[in-house]
Amino acid sequence: MDETDGVLLRRVLSGETPVYAQLVNRYRERLGRYALRMLGNREDAEDALQDTFIRAYRSLSRCEGTHGFGPWVFGILVNRCRTHAAKRARTQGVMVRNDVALAAAAVAPSEGRDALRDAIYWALAQLPAEQREAFLLKHVEDLSYEVMETVTGVRPATLRMRVFRARDELRKLLAETVRD
Amino acid sequence: MTDQDDSLDPIIDILREPAELRSDLTERVMSAIEREPSPTVGEPSRVRWWRREWSIRLTPLHALGIAAGLVGLVLAARLTGRTDAPTVPSGARTMTQFVLIAPGAASVTVVGDFNDWSMSATPLERAGGVWSVAVPLGPGRYRYAFVVNGAIWQPDPEAPAADDEFGRANSVVTVGGKGT
Amino acid sequence: MIRLRPIVPLLLLVVASAAQAQEPRLAGRVPEAARAQVDAILGAARNRGLPIEPLVDRALEGAAKGAAPGMIVAAVTRLRDELILVREAFGNGASTAELTAGASALRAGATGAALSRLRVSRSGRALTVAAAVMADLVAAGVPADTAVGAVLALASDADDTDYLTFRRNVQRDIALGASPSAALAIRIRAAVSNADGTASPGTGSTAQGAERKRKP
Repeated sequence: MDETDGVLLRRVLSGETPVYAQLVNRYRERLGRYALRMLGNREDAEDALQDTFIRAYRSLSRCEGTHGFGPWVFGILVNRCRTHAAKRARTQGVMVRNDVALAAAAVAPSEGRDALRDAIYWALAQLPAEQREAFLLKHVEDLSYEVMETVTGVRPATLRMRVFRARDELRKLLAETVRD
Repeated sequence: MTDQDDSLDPIIDILREPAELRSDLTERVMSAIEREPSPTVGEPSRVRWWRREWSIRLTPLHALGIAAGLVGLVLAARLTGRTDAPTVPSGARTMTQFVLIAPGAASVTVVGDFNDWSMSATPLERAGGVWSVAVPLGPGRYRYAFVVNGAIWQPDPEAPAADDEFGRANSVVTVGGKGT
Repeated sequence: MIRLRPIVPLLLLVVASAAQAQEPRLAGRVPEAARAQVDAILGAARNRGLPIEPLVDRALEGAAKGAAPGMIVAAVTRLRDELILVREAFGNGASTAELTAGASALRAGATGAALSRLRVSRSGRALTVAAAVMADLVAAGVPADTAVGAVLALASDADDTDYLTFRRNVQRDIALGASPSAALAIRIRAAVSNADGTASPGTGSTAQGAERKRKP
């Protein structure tokens, strides 16, 4: 029951394909949450997530020797989310930033969601993609800057600045909420 | 410039809520990869790993962390592993596997609370560069370490560290009972 | 009288040695300079009804690691004292595995009072894994009182598998870069809010659990 990621990884690489499901189960919620907050709608997030795990499986042997399955598969997801946003911009012919905002706005509030959540998701969608990415990884997924560098390919100093700007922007956008 | 103020905490709390994505993700991933060739890694690539440069850029902190083996689960995912098989129905013992990757070793044993800290009781068997042995353990907490070539004490990089008062680091494995 | 005096201590020594059972597993492994004292500790422990297995293990560990005799004796003594405290907290019916795990928790910073509370919260269920997870979390960098608090918070609902999953999730979050306190705080919040849902602690929410919106 309590096998480490490395052990599961090795088992899959030695031919035990069904074991991959356990790795997927371990990370699907974390990655799913990031994808949803990043892309702003469930359909895109599910696509990105599924895509990520399939790509990860294909290149699983390249995971050996890096920092372990977690950060590595996160890195694949971050790339998938960037590609998704860019693709949507191309097909819809609008700027990425507005595009995500539109997508976020298009999500119908599900039962039980209140206005606060809508405001937060809207504010998040207003951020430039790289700020939103950095903010989510740092504050929602709680990664260290060292791991974030692995995941995003961006230097910590730049990441810090993006997080700082994201916080500032969110505070401004949600001034009413934050004050309460 | 700091991430330390907590005015955004309520926002972050909400963003940390789990994402409600479709629950059949794992099934869909698994049926997609069914058609894929198995991403196996053979002997050559394992040997190659020891000589291959790390493919990502490392900060000094990364390198230090790797050297110290501090972040065992992530950084040492490639190196070693330990598994707890599902509990057997009766007798309450769990087959627990101890694994160490040590291609240069002439011998590897595991010593710990479960074998009277004997250097000879539980030798690991080698397959390529991977040494392993399975030990039946009843519920409990067992401190242990590997001994390489009869002299070099090596904690398990993928296991939690345990206290030691004799100057040689220990690892620990905790084995559960069946639903007690 | 003067002549007899040197003989009396010798006689006492002989009598004492004969009365002390010797633990055979220590033979040839624990340095002679420590043998008598360790055997004495084991004998006294047996008389008190303490399990001697963990004490033997500790002595053998020291021997395997080439520790000085004084260190071996000190280590066995320390563990003996911890086992006594744990048995007060866990009760006379506690198993060896429970006492050993409890001793690790004490060593990690749990108090006897906390262990007593654990026993009460678990009401009849085994305490081994709960106490072990306390020690494991501290070993991962979580502050002791936080780790203890977390284990106690889960004590009435979690089974062994839940505890091990919880611990693994916290360890994985730490490995991904979260501070130990933050990792634990996130996981315990998820676990406690799922406590009356269908998901088990630490595995993340099911869709059902996610319906329970936390207040903003």
